[in-house]
Amino acid sequence: MGIEGILAETRDLAVGYRSGKRVTTVMKGLSLRARHGELVALIGRNGTGKSTLLRTLAGIQQPLEGEILIEGSTLSEIGTSRLPRMVSFVSTEPVALRNIKVREVVELGRFPYTNWIGTLTGADTEAVDAALEATGVADLAGRSIDSISDGEKQRTLVARSLAQDTGLLVMDEPTAFLDLPSRYGIVSLLRQLTRERGKCVIYSTHDLDTAINEADRIWLMTGDGVTEGAPEDLMLTGRLARAFESPLLSFSASDGTFSFVRSRDTSIALEGRGRTAKMTARALSRCGYTIDPQARLAVKIIEGHDGPVWTVSSGSSERTFRSIYDLVTNIPEPGH
Amino acid sequence: MKLTGTRIAATMAGLALLVLLLFMADLFLGSTRIEVSSVIHSLFGRGEPGDEIIVMQFRLPKALTAILAGMAMSASGLLMQTLFRNPLAGPDVLGVSSGAGLGVALTLLTLTPLFSLPAGSIFTGWGVILAAWAGAGAVMMLIMSVSARLRDIMTVLIVGLLLASAISAVVNLLQYFSNEAMLRTYVIWTMGNLGNISYPQIRALAVATAAGFAIAVMMVKPLNAMLMGETFSRTVGVKVRRTRIILLASASILAGSVTAFCGPIAFIGVAVPHIARLLFGTTDHRLLMPGTALCGAAILLISDLISVMPGGGHVIPVNTVTSLIGIPVVLWIILGKTGLGRRF
Repeated sequence: MGIEGILAETRDLAVGYRSGKRVTTVMKGLSLRARHGELVALIGRNGTGKSTLLRTLAGIQQPLEGEILIEGSTLSEIGTSRLPRMVSFVSTEPVALRNIKVREVVELGRFPYTNWIGTLTGADTEAVDAALEATGVADLAGRSIDSISDGEKQRTLVARSLAQDTGLLVMDEPTAFLDLPSRYGIVSLLRQLTRERGKCVIYSTHDLDTAINEADRIWLMTGDGVTEGAPEDLMLTGRLARAFESPLLSFSASDGTFSFVRSRDTSIALEGRGRTAKMTARALSRCGYTIDPQARLAVKIIEGHDGPVWTVSSGSSERTFRSIYDLVTNIPEPGH
Repeated sequence: MKLTGTRIAATMAGLALLVLLLFMADLFLGSTRIEVSSVIHSLFGRGEPGDEIIVMQFRLPKALTAILAGMAMSASGLLMQTLFRNPLAGPDVLGVSSGAGLGVALTLLTLTPLFSLPAGSIFTGWGVILAAWAGAGAVMMLIMSVSARLRDIMTVLIVGLLLASAISAVVNLLQYFSNEAMLRTYVIWTMGNLGNISYPQIRALAVATAAGFAIAVMMVKPLNAMLMGETFSRTVGVKVRRTRIILLASASILAGSVTAFCGPIAFIGVAVPHIARLLFGTTDHRLLMPGTALCGAAILLISDLISVMPGGGHVIPVNTVTSLIGIPVVLWIILGKTGLGRRF
């Protein structure tokens, strides 16, 4: 299934909290769209209101102004009894239960379809099996939730969402607390669901790397509002860089990665080849040196029989080291 | 899956059988020794007059009350633990038991001297029951109206705990100004008593228990969703605030009625749901609800058997027994490998 018509749309939406007469607007004037079969990553700095927007989209919070349309109908037209068959939500709330099996968690996704006591019909069981299969947790179905890894837990929650059989899946930080391979695993699973099943997945994340590489569309949330576009659009216009700019971070628009800004006032010359030279340059840069062939301070790499040897020369003195760690801890600190 | 289904059915049947056996034991054993044959004859109205009175007027109502109260208190505890997602919640956390106590204390310690009645007189009929029911009902209404206004369920829990403390303070004040005879009557009421109950009262307790339990059974599906948290419940279509109020009502009817008829029964409500979880190895309320009720009936029957100290000629308060056998059980669960928290 390819990218088709609009599935979810917000029109001049304002999100926030209402308690009594006090209204706290977190973000307003949001006009956003997401299509069928699209993976949408919501990114933005802490406190910009990502969770509030997602919770409002999922119908947990009331919009303050404007409206949300799912498949052409507003949330109020859909009603609270039909909405659970159109939108599912995975929150950041951890599963506090320990004595529940993976399969039982996924079965809870069938809640909107079962009778008053929650009896699973043949169709329900099929949907649960399919969800377990698609998310790769079928083998864990009989295990209790506290005996599996964080990545597997998150897959289980995706499976639960999938079993709910909704066109739109909303997820709040599904990759938080996961290691790098698990993060990629979850995001590629979400992408697969959009491609193979035509689902629309909207998820929030702090993991720019995977978002830029996998998402079809990015909703970039800043203090001024939300900008949407392909990841490359946002890189091209410099919006992505601006959103995350800080005195400590610099964004490289060419490859979409961030690096720390360091004071570079000592230059050093580097002579060597291949991976060894690359790694040495990386280490020197991390320690605050700028590589400059004209510099008085110089490092020369000689590939010996038993590994590389680093020679640092500064005027008349010369010292040799057997590892990058020894090298960077023994040369003078930058700025001295 | 089939195998575990069989195992669960066997456990449930075994529990039901255990309750039946304990019920019979409770009829046959008591502080006075009565021959087995005489007990059976008495049940069919053909026993020795003295034995028949003991069996029909004391042992049978007490055993029936133990079953009803055990079921009601433990089911109420299960509802509270799921509602608050807290393994230490019980029927008493919302002040329902304290409310009943306040009703009794107010009636006993103010009305009795006002009309210069003897201290024990209100315990003879419906007086104390209505007083306790009114107290429990008032607290329940208060908690439910608070709960309908609050977003966060934890706030409801804190309000409940504070309310319980405030009520205890008022009761203390009343006790301070009452005479010795009234004080003693009140203190004995707080120790719990399964025996001081007539057949019409048992009928009323049975109706209240059945009503509370029926509501609880109808809520098993939302209860299962609530275990995953309120946000999840909301996104699968549970009307969270309405469900909360229904669950509070059910739990309060169950615990409030038991407290009205038997006095505050300690520990059963907190501990029994854990024993049921341990026994069935599940969090599914479709099994836990009947399982907890059966465990509760069995444990209160055992407590009653111990409290009459068969053949000893004395009876000790049932609360003493439920606490003394209950606290080691809870400790064993907490300290054991399977840990209280791990089993929730």
